[in-house]
Amino acid sequence: MTEVTRPEALARAALAIRRRFLGMHHQARSGHIGSGLSAIDLLTYLYAAWLQPIDQLILSKGHAASALYATLNHFGKLSDAELSTYYQDGTLLPAHPAPGGVAAIPAATGSLGHGLPIAVGMAHSYKHLRSSEARVACLLSDGECNEGSTWEAALFAAHHHLDNLTVLVDANGIQAFGRTEEVLALEPFAKKWEAFGFDVSECNGHDFAQIHAALGRPALSRPRCVIARTIKGRGVSFMENTVDWHYWPMSDAQYGQAIAELDQAERELFR
Amino acid sequence: MRVAFVEAVDDALARDPKSLFITGDLGFNAFESLVVKYGARFINAGVAEQSMIGLAAGVALTGLRPWVYSIAPFATYRCVEQIRNDLCLHRLPVCVVGNGGGFTYGIMGPTHHALEDLAVLKALPNIQLFFPCASDQVAAAVGSIAALDGPSYLRLAVSAYDTACAPISENPLTLTRSYAKRSDAREPAATVIGAGHGVQVALRALAAHGLDRENVDVFGMTRFPFRLADDSALMASVLETKKVVFVEEHYAAGGMGESLRLALPSQVDFSLLSASYRPDQRYGSAAFHMHQTQLTPEVLVELVRARLSAP
Repeated sequence: MTEVTRPEALARAALAIRRRFLGMHHQARSGHIGSGLSAIDLLTYLYAAWLQPIDQLILSKGHAASALYATLNHFGKLSDAELSTYYQDGTLLPAHPAPGGVAAIPAATGSLGHGLPIAVGMAHSYKHLRSSEARVACLLSDGECNEGSTWEAALFAAHHHLDNLTVLVDANGIQAFGRTEEVLALEPFAKKWEAFGFDVSECNGHDFAQIHAALGRPALSRPRCVIARTIKGRGVSFMENTVDWHYWPMSDAQYGQAIAELDQAERELFR
Repeated sequence: MRVAFVEAVDDALARDPKSLFITGDLGFNAFESLVVKYGARFINAGVAEQSMIGLAAGVALTGLRPWVYSIAPFATYRCVEQIRNDLCLHRLPVCVVGNGGGFTYGIMGPTHHALEDLAVLKALPNIQLFFPCASDQVAAAVGSIAALDGPSYLRLAVSAYDTACAPISENPLTLTRSYAKRSDAREPAATVIGAGHGVQVALRALAAHGLDRENVDVFGMTRFPFRLADDSALMASVLETKKVVFVEEHYAAGGMGESLRLALPSQVDFSLLSASYRPDQRYGSAAFHMHQTQLTPEVLVELVRARLSAP
């Protein structure tokens, strides 16, 4: 592991991104906070350690756009001025990514089940048509694995041996109206991806050493799926593991408490 | 029309090394030569239209230009959200090709008919629709599409009234065809316009049902959005006759006739001959369906005569 990919350095970056992310949501009074917090550690790892300049990330769970905006800002790919327009009238940064709004976001998403087919098309083109070494990562929610188009694309990826494709599932176990296992059970989830022909591993999606172990190992001759077990709302105690924080914006008091919890986490990190 | 398409797309693939062909597992006995000739540039996405459009978008995002093929109902309805979000919103140069518009697949049953495809797609942003009048116009449509920098839909169809009829002229910008000219400039006169292969109903009427004895101009329109400013011959006719009879193998709601009516001056007498859904409908050949829905040369001639004699 290099200096920037040491777990402590990544944890520090993720804290800064969470702080920025909560500030954006507080200012905008916008929801989808829990879905962003569950993905921020994964996004941090991807941008700090995994994505090379020629690689692409498709955020299939478009409702985590604000987490991606905050991450891109942290890594210098989205200016403070642009970020300050988030959720405001006239912005190119709406709640779900818009087409052409940000150079680092190749595809508009937000309707679930669209990201993986797009990512598969890019990976197929790089590997079989363009002779490019570029890799493609696609960040899915577990809920969007209800969508048939996700599995259509999975079939294609395995059939065409797209070893340049990494599917990363932010498996926080909660979807829009309830717990994933209660709404439309996905388990045994890893076995499903294995049966579809993927090289599957699971990790704790908030443990950078585990994320690194899962995403950093050499590719086999097939597409990869990493099921990152995450906690919706991760990092803010009262938001963790609830359906409510898929929707609610924060009050001033809640924002104050959330920031106080990040301050506490930061003190513990530097102790 | 499919044979003409294979030849035209073969030419387009040969000309542009960035182009490729993706099928949703259809094209048996049609695309085999493309498979051999283009290798990795021919992709069978499987029976998975949503994923097929999404992956065409992904391929296009890497700088390539896919042609995506299925039969018209499958290429449009199942994946309309993918066409809207993944292709239209991103303005990607992907052509969705739907074979068998209208009643082409007659006896295959109603799941295989495409009578709302243009209605669904015309509402989407940034997409251009092409619906050739006849097989001998497919190459021109494919050539126009190959030069676009955004998404398109190509509706291939075979009419029950397929009539080999050479056009008098074709507008190089709009691909609108003139098939018949009025015998004299006097009124009453009418302009008969067919949308794509819908014009075949009028051609049949000209050849065998006496439409040629009426004082009419006949045009075939092939593109949407319309480019009426470039369609000088058609517009001159409409403004002179002030009577339009429009024929399309498509439902009236959302069809091309509806859009053209709104685009023309309100004093133009506009009549529409289109398909309709019948709760008691039965199934048969394309010709059977055209007859059942009263989309026939006889009905067209009757309608034209009624409008000509109207004040």
